[in-house]
Amino acid sequence: VSDDLVVMDLHPLPAAGQAKPWEFPVPDRSSLATGLTVLCCHRPGQQVVAVEICLDAPLDAEPDGLDGIATVMVHALSEGCGPYTAEEFAAELERCGATLGSRVDYTGARISLEVPASRLPRALGLLTEALRAPTFAPGDVERLVHNRLDEIPHELANPARRAAIALSADLFPAWARMSRPRQGTLETVGRIDPAGVRAFYQAHVRPATATAIVVGDLPDVDLDAILAGTLGQWTGDPARPVPVPPVTADDAGRVLIVDRPGAVQTQLLIGRLGPDRHDPNWPALVVGTYCLGGTLTSRLDRVLREEKGYTYGVRAFAQVLRSPGASLLAISGAVDTGSTGPALADLQAVLRTLAVEGLTDVERDMAVQNLVLVAPLRYETAAAVAGTLADQVEQHLPDDYQAELYRRLAATSAAEATAAVVTSFAADRLVMVLVGDAAEIRQPVQDLGAGPVIVTAS
Amino acid sequence: MSPTASHDLAAGTLTATEHRLANGLRVVLSEDHLTPVVAVCLWYDVGSRNEAAGRTGLAHLFEHLMFQGSAQVHGNGHFELIQAAGGSLNGTTSFERTNYFETMPANQLELALWLEADRMGSLLVALDEESLQNQRDVVKNERRQRYDNVPYGTAFERLVALAYPAGHPYHHTPIGSMADLDAATLADAHAFFRANYAPNNAVLAIVGDIVPEQALAWVEKYFGSIPAGTGKVPPRDGTLPGNIGAELLEEVREEVPARALVAAYRLPPDGTRECDAADIAATILGSGMSSRLYNRLVRRDRTAITADFGLMRLVGAPSLGWLDVKAAGGAEFAQIRAAVDEEQARLGSDGATAEEMERAQARLEREWLDRLGTVAGRADELCRYAVLFGDPQLAFSAISRILDVSADEVRAVAAACLRPDNRAVLEYEPISRDAAAEAGQ
Repeated sequence: VSDDLVVMDLHPLPAAGQAKPWEFPVPDRSSLATGLTVLCCHRPGQQVVAVEICLDAPLDAEPDGLDGIATVMVHALSEGCGPYTAEEFAAELERCGATLGSRVDYTGARISLEVPASRLPRALGLLTEALRAPTFAPGDVERLVHNRLDEIPHELANPARRAAIALSADLFPAWARMSRPRQGTLETVGRIDPAGVRAFYQAHVRPATATAIVVGDLPDVDLDAILAGTLGQWTGDPARPVPVPPVTADDAGRVLIVDRPGAVQTQLLIGRLGPDRHDPNWPALVVGTYCLGGTLTSRLDRVLREEKGYTYGVRAFAQVLRSPGASLLAISGAVDTGSTGPALADLQAVLRTLAVEGLTDVERDMAVQNLVLVAPLRYETAAAVAGTLADQVEQHLPDDYQAELYRRLAATSAAEATAAVVTSFAADRLVMVLVGDAAEIRQPVQDLGAGPVIVTAS
Repeated sequence: MSPTASHDLAAGTLTATEHRLANGLRVVLSEDHLTPVVAVCLWYDVGSRNEAAGRTGLAHLFEHLMFQGSAQVHGNGHFELIQAAGGSLNGTTSFERTNYFETMPANQLELALWLEADRMGSLLVALDEESLQNQRDVVKNERRQRYDNVPYGTAFERLVALAYPAGHPYHHTPIGSMADLDAATLADAHAFFRANYAPNNAVLAIVGDIVPEQALAWVEKYFGSIPAGTGKVPPRDGTLPGNIGAELLEEVREEVPARALVAAYRLPPDGTRECDAADIAATILGSGMSSRLYNRLVRRDRTAITADFGLMRLVGAPSLGWLDVKAAGGAEFAQIRAAVDEEQARLGSDGATAEEMERAQARLEREWLDRLGTVAGRADELCRYAVLFGDPQLAFSAISRILDVSADEVRAVAAACLRPDNRAVLEYEPISRDAAAEAGQ
């Protein structure tokens, strides 16, 4: 230490103060006469209220050959309903300072509303109209279909999206909905028409199989009365839950290169199937995955970024596909083209070393402390709480799941985390998708011995 | 009965106090006990506008070096200590400032202050050639990932270079060029630190579940002995005429998925009523799904799949208006351009309707609520107004200023600025991969 560069008084590392208790909130659960399940959660000070509507309209419910129709349907809900044209509805929502989003996944369809608390009744009224009386005007539905067709080339041009599409297509059997893009392909979206959208709505959108989640600063509002006058007006038949097939995948080690001549980076997505949230080892997997690639100081980035500079960052994650069901385990990032071979060799070495040596207690402690102690920060906003409650609903988990998860994370040992992550990220059972310049990367990738290498045009 | 944008949601209950250490460090404290978290945000009054010719990207590269250790923090210790304490952290670099932030459980405030002070007062002890080489490679990969390897990725860089002329401090973007990143030396990094990373060139905001007297005592303890800096070189003057004067058009033939029209406009600088009016004009024109451009291009003409107009507020130069239209199907530039010009001209001649004003103000108010609704967002805004305007309290009155703008002011700024002769335009024309290869891409 050259002292002339220290221009200040140095102080010892301070100790932490007394921690304040914090618990993930458990919502009040009730149901309306219409069959709609309602979860409410008061979060003091959160002036922007978050509302999530979970619909039992998962991607697997889409009719054969019409991939993408569920997404078009939920988007079309806000393109005209009740007395409002598409333009009028958008204007009314924005007049409330509200934002509305919708998406469909393997767990169901989700509509997300955020609005300042004082305008909650008005915005819930609009949302109710969208749910109970969508217009599905042919012109508006056709516009959404054409927009979607025009969006697809943009997604295919994006290296990260292209990698995700390629991995799904390769990992899952062709019959499985999971093998195909969530929002459909040019071929399937091109077949979607207004009548089909209406039929899908009629088959899958009803209060009896839906849940509404309302989170925010709520004590000043008479929520029961507001709900009775809004979402309570949405009625429909009872129905059984949509059946879904089991999740299967072929994770024999192999490499798929999606050729991008001239690409300056290789986008990598390396994955296989893993356990779901109902698996007792899930908390251990969460801890182990964090240690492998949850952050800049995890094992992968310590080498690939902070030692070698091959990447802006590589992350490992476990993304729930369905629970009960499976998760997608993956390592993702981008490395410069010339470093592709060495970067993948280092990545494999990190996995092998982890399997041989296991995680240290220090790594485990840092992971658990981060995962548990970050909770009050992660759940500062109403939208974050509502999002997790909606995940719990869609994944058939109890309302106190997240609170319980924190207790189980804290009780996870280094050995348990090691076992979970090593079993899950087994070096020889990973499907490796590389979007990059095949002429440059094929040989170095072949030399890795990660299984057969197939090159496909992008 | 009707829900209108109103002052009742304005941030009237939020307060902040201001303090200054003897070494010039300005401190802003804002107490909020709703959640046991605290945000620490440190803005240094230095950004890419301060960079010298041939050293573009240095401010951002330097930001990375701030995470490589200091006298008492080894290697990645800054990240490790914050994350193990349950915090999150990062830094970002823009034209006009560099910010560093940690959001922590409330009982870990002292750790965050210790870490920020250690690197402000002793970074150069740890800053070596190895860190520089490594982070140079990381930043080059950041550039590839975010700009060079994605379609339209260099649009911002190209337009900024057109809207702010050569030699102007905002002519280049914070990411910098590959050649300049390669050219940066350890001596450059040391000089940059000595010139800019001093307590009297920074504002520290602490927001959340704090005891203000205690927080201030810790700030004094950890930062108080760091001497004030003397080497600050003010950025070059960024004043420009409010209008570009003629449309600057660049045709870009690249391997992109569809035609796109992307444009940058010069708008009034932040801190003026005209800038708030421009924010509303931009929102009416191209923000959300009930904007004029969305309704015209996406819903009615069906010539576009997205049509956005945004505002990037700048203080030391004209703010930047940002138009982004991705074409639908086989739509032609002439159709898109005519519709955009017609809509912006109509806003300049006829002005905004009362309903449009209400919607735009409600939308902008909501954006402010979101920003001020988290401790990290609030700390960042307090720093912004303290560094760029000398008064952090302006963060809490920002909503009122937006709501105070009249429809006539919106019309006036649209007439003056939202016009073809005040923009730089990129027309992206897709070409095949082979053609792109021949063009040397």
